[in-house]
Amino acid sequence: MYSNAYIFRYASIMVILVAAILSSAAMLLKPMQQRNEAVDKMQSILAAAGIPDVSAGDAIKLFNQNVTNMIVIDNKGNIIDDFTAEGKQDSKAFKINPKDELYKKSQGKDFELAMYVINLNGEKIYIIPLRGVGLWGPVWGNIALKDDFNTVVGVTFGHKSETPGLGAEIETPIFEDQFPGKTLFDETGKFKSVRVMKGGVANLSAADQFHAVDAITGGTITSNGVSDMLQNVLESYVPYFKKQV
Amino acid sequence: MNTVKREKEPLFSPKNRKLLLSPINLNNPITVQVLGICSALAVTAKMKPAFVMSVSVIVVTALANLIISLLRNGIPPRIRIIVQLVVIATLVIVVDQVLKAYVYDVSKQLSVFVGLIITNCIIMGRLEAFAMSSKPWPSLLDGIGNGIGYGIILVVVGFVRELFGSGSVWGYPVVPAGFFEMGYRNNGFMILPPMALIIIGIIIWIQRSRNKELYQEN
Amino acid sequence: MQEIFNIFIKSIFIDNMIFAYFLGMCSYLAVSKTVQTSMGLGIAVIFVLGITVPIDYLLNEYILKAGALAWLDEGLAEVDLSFLSFILFIAIIASMVQLVEMIVEKFSPALYSSLGIFLPLIAVNCAILGGSLFMQEREYQTLAQATSFGLGSGVGWLLAIVGIAAIREKIRYSNVPAPLRGLGITFIITGLMGIAFMSFLGIKL
Repeated sequence: MYSNAYIFRYASIMVILVAAILSSAAMLLKPMQQRNEAVDKMQSILAAAGIPDVSAGDAIKLFNQNVTNMIVIDNKGNIIDDFTAEGKQDSKAFKINPKDELYKKSQGKDFELAMYVINLNGEKIYIIPLRGVGLWGPVWGNIALKDDFNTVVGVTFGHKSETPGLGAEIETPIFEDQFPGKTLFDETGKFKSVRVMKGGVANLSAADQFHAVDAITGGTITSNGVSDMLQNVLESYVPYFKKQV
Repeated sequence: MNTVKREKEPLFSPKNRKLLLSPINLNNPITVQVLGICSALAVTAKMKPAFVMSVSVIVVTALANLIISLLRNGIPPRIRIIVQLVVIATLVIVVDQVLKAYVYDVSKQLSVFVGLIITNCIIMGRLEAFAMSSKPWPSLLDGIGNGIGYGIILVVVGFVRELFGSGSVWGYPVVPAGFFEMGYRNNGFMILPPMALIIIGIIIWIQRSRNKELYQEN
Repeated sequence: MQEIFNIFIKSIFIDNMIFAYFLGMCSYLAVSKTVQTSMGLGIAVIFVLGITVPIDYLLNEYILKAGALAWLDEGLAEVDLSFLSFILFIAIIASMVQLVEMIVEKFSPALYSSLGIFLPLIAVNCAILGGSLFMQEREYQTLAQATSFGLGSGVGWLLAIVGIAAIREKIRYSNVPAPLRGLGITFIITGLMGIAFMSFLGIKL
């Protein structure tokens, strides 16, 4: 039959072969995968600022054309990095992982936040990456603000595994189109965020309608997740907003 | 003696054709052999991911069957299962990497379910039952056949769920707007996970009413 | 602490392995003929999930994740080995199952005679690998969270298989249409149970 030595030789050769195949596959495909990820992120950022339907081929070029600054701020609202050169996908702001930073925030530590500035038709638009938790897994997105750091220009959302037809509807225009025109602060300058409300925004008072959108029917937990995400992420930027206005 | 054996069997002899075709209906891995539904039903809410998943499974079953069949005389029986797992896992990783590189948006939707092809019982089952004791060409056909039999069920379930749940097919809306004006609504229920099971139950029902030999006891 | 409890409850009732993700269906359908055997398999699943998910969590956290090797050497911070996770997870699972089987056989023959036959089945149970992959995808922050997710998923799986086994024991006495008998009706019942479980979505966690 088969001796132990044979089994051992067989197993070793197999392991080496498999390792070689896997690492070469990973090495070969890595650049394309990273590019896909970056392109996906850029498309989402551009869409939030009102440049929708950017094809994968144009995304990097358009992103570099439209985005003027890639800013990193700390939790006290100070700018610590401002990248304006070409190759914005390599800037510090583009590489910041909101998930890690928000975890630091929940632990009460110092954290850093990214912000992208787009110059569209002479108007400056500030885009903030969002990250939160839905029903089944992470939800994320981008929210674009006017240079009053108050009025919403647009949003895009994404999710990993929300229920199709219910929670997953957050990434459809029906939901996203409710956001433009909403405001983050009330007249007294108090931070209100934009809440995702179950039961109809129409029933709210006129002032409150500026800070709320309708939830997804049947997607309550995902809607709450989006609501909490907006609150949690945007409140971290409030110190910065206050310094600007 | 050897010469008789060596007489060439045509590539698609009736026997080989049967290997390819029988898993599609009478020996369907999902509805008859009850193998491998685990990893895939969760991606049947829409047709496109269901289809990509099917193709991935076909590729993995076919290649795993082929590789194991080529190696079958050298594999030490004591580490047989490990060797099979390693071959499958390697193929799945390669498939996953390729999906991530070339169809990024679909691979995002499939998420962990590509990885779960590894534990898809069809693949292990076919390796043990067929590829370990058969020549490479029939093994390849058997793998493709089983993969297709599996894929068909997935795509059918995906089609039904997408049509009634989202009113579209392959992402294109097909239910005319007039229907909605007359009060038609997409059935949100179709998109929820339990409906996949019920649809498979119904597929089994239809298939078995037409093939009496498949009846089971309770 | 509350977070950990929430994950536990959520993975039992809401993210149920069977009803929400159909994981581990093969053994679920094959072994659910009597309550007793399904109880045995269910306990084995809890056991193995409770061990493999935390181990795979550590593996992911300290070896596989992008930048995970930074604790070894700063220069390795750029290394991303996550493409190896499938193969390493399945290897851990297969060897853990083997190890558990040997330990149980040595120290508790009684437990071995009731659980033993199920353990080999478990290595290729999708629920086990699924547990590790979901743990990775959901990016749990602490070992305790991952463990509670593993155990909760196991308990949810046990609940599902014992439930269906109890129904199947009774359904033998009912007049099910001939083509639906066996597999067909089991699928449909599982679907209905899944719908019932969806009402847990209303739990406020």
